[in-house]
Amino acid sequence: MNKDKALEDLFLAQKPQFDDNEAFTASLNKRLDAVEYIKQHQEATIRRYKMALVVAFVVGIISGGVAMAFVLFMPVGAPLFTFRGQTGFFAWLAENSRLIVVTALSLLMSFGLISIVKNVLDIVNMRKHLV
Amino acid sequence: MTREGFIELVEREQEALRSFLLYLCCGNKEEANDIAQDALVKAYLSSAGYQEKGRFRSWLFKIAHNTFLNHKASCRTTESIEEARTLISNSTADASFEHQDLYLALRTLPPKERSAITLFYLNGYNIKEIAAITEASEDAVKKQLSRGRDQLKEKLKL
Repeated sequence: MNKDKALEDLFLAQKPQFDDNEAFTASLNKRLDAVEYIKQHQEATIRRYKMALVVAFVVGIISGGVAMAFVLFMPVGAPLFTFRGQTGFFAWLAENSRLIVVTALSLLMSFGLISIVKNVLDIVNMRKHLV
Repeated sequence: MTREGFIELVEREQEALRSFLLYLCCGNKEEANDIAQDALVKAYLSSAGYQEKGRFRSWLFKIAHNTFLNHKASCRTTESIEEARTLISNSTADASFEHQDLYLALRTLPPKERSAITLFYLNGYNIKEIAAITEASEDAVKKQLSRGRDQLKEKLKL
C-alpha cells in the first residue's frame, strides 16, 4: 500500500517534541520502585508459604517412617485390619494388608520427598532472584 | 534484562513511544503520559521474557497499543468533536501543536484505525510490522489504513 503524500507530510510536520524527558524517566523510576516493593513483598509471602509446605512434608515423611516401622514390626501372621464379611476381595485385602499399607506409605513418602525438593529449589531460585 | 538496561533502552525510545500515544490520545498529553508509564511498567514486568531478537521499539509499541486499547475499553466515554475541541483547548493538550485539526480528525477514527494510521504515517512501519504490533491480519491492517486514510482526507479536506 502506498503512502498518501499529503497525510505523511502532515504527520511528519507535526511531530511532537518533548522537553520533559527527565521528569518522565524520574516518574517511571518511582513507579518501578513501587512495583519492585510490591513484587518483593509478594515473593516473601510465597517464600514463607513454601517454607511452611516443606515443613509439613518433612513432618509427613517422619510420621510416614514411624508408621512404616510400626507396620513392619507387627507380627507377620496377624493382618493389620480385618473385615466383618470375609468375601473374596476383602479376604485378599486382609491377607495383603501389610503390603498394601507399606506400598501406600512409600508412595506418599515419595510424593513428599519430590515436593520437598521442588519447593526447596523454588525457594533457592527466589533468593537468587532477589540477590 | 536489568533495570538499568531497561531504563537505558526506555530513554532511547521514550520520545517515539510518547509521540505514538499522544496521537492515539488525540493530543491529551496527560492521558498519553499515563498510558506510556503503565505500558512501561508492564514492559518492565515482562522484560524477563523479552528476547533481544526483535526490535525493542516494536515490542514496546505492542504493549503500548494493548494498554491503550484496554484503557479505552475501561473508559468507554462518548466522544464527539465538541468534546475533543474542549479537551485540546485546555492546558493538558499538547501546546506545541500548531495544527490541531489532525488531532480532531484522528479522534473521529476508531482506536484500531487510529493506531494503524499513526504507526504507518508517523512511525514509518510497514503493513507486516503493523500487523505484528496490533496482532491483526495484514488484510485487516490494509482495510484499517484505507478506511482511516479516506476518513482523515475527508475531515482534513486534503
